[in-house]
Amino acid sequence: MLDLLGTIAGNILGLAGILGLTLGLATRNLILAAALGGIVGLVETLGFAGFDMASVEFMDLFIAVAVGILAGALGCAIRIKGTTV
Amino acid sequence: MTQSNSQEPRPGLIRRIWNWFWTPTAVLSVGFTLVVGFLAGILFWGGFHWSMEMTNTEEFCTGCHTMETNLGEYRETIHYNNHSGVRAICSDCHVPKEWNHKVKAKVMAVKDIYHELMGTIDTPEKYEDHRLKMASQTWKKMKQSDSRECRNCHNFDYMDFTIQETRAAKEHQRAIDNSMTCIDCHQGIAHNLPEGYAEEYKRVVEELSMETGSQQHKDAVAQANAIRGYLNPSVKETPGG
Repeated sequence: MLDLLGTIAGNILGLAGILGLTLGLATRNLILAAALGGIVGLVETLGFAGFDMASVEFMDLFIAVAVGILAGALGCAIRIKGTTV
Repeated sequence: MTQSNSQEPRPGLIRRIWNWFWTPTAVLSVGFTLVVGFLAGILFWGGFHWSMEMTNTEEFCTGCHTMETNLGEYRETIHYNNHSGVRAICSDCHVPKEWNHKVKAKVMAVKDIYHELMGTIDTPEKYEDHRLKMASQTWKKMKQSDSRECRNCHNFDYMDFTIQETRAAKEHQRAIDNSMTCIDCHQGIAHNLPEGYAEEYKRVVEELSMETGSQQHKDAVAQANAIRGYLNPSVKETPGG
């Protein structure tokens, strides 16, 4: 359980969460924002594994992509709610 | 005079704060908002990072009563006092350097506070009862990460085998040849070993090989046992190493 929470927290405070949110802020298209966040999560996990798929754990990859998608969607929601352009 | 029915009731405090938060500002320029946001971001991130680094100090780690036993053991080892004057403190071995791994370790360390409050290991007897389990958890993490924290300072690539003891050079070469990792041989390098550690380490590695389906882990245990036998043929398992 702690392992899971730690992985989620690491991703929220890492590239998937912060860059995902930032990219989400750049668009009003929810699907695009979520996709950008998901890609960041994917690239982050692969990057930390040295782009070696054998070193990538499925759970880590799943959490990173999920956090990225949610962060991107949140960024998009902030853009829609908080701006007029 | 009657009151108009169309007059809406005043929103609650939370709703008013929410509306204020999302209302475009009419008095702040974009530049001002960006500069203030940028400075606030630096202050927040700097403070966050500083706080996290504070939790990496030896004083912080050993501030709890339950850490006294392992602190005493660590102070008897080469990682505390040595000829070169280089010291590895708790966080050097137990906290990853990479950001995502570090945050994960910090979140998982919340359990230490819980056990300190519950008094899980607050007497020497309780500590000994839990020593094997605690060691086992650490070995599993280190084996999984290819002894990542050891390799912050030590690396096979940086070793000059010609100035190592013959025995050490030979075994390090053997470890490279067999894809072994530091913890395969160096359990108990900073804390006393519990009774039955060799069997427990073997169990941990077998568990990992079941999870990953890797034969490499099993081979590493066999090689580690062979090295132990070579280093000290008369004693196969020595607690307190």
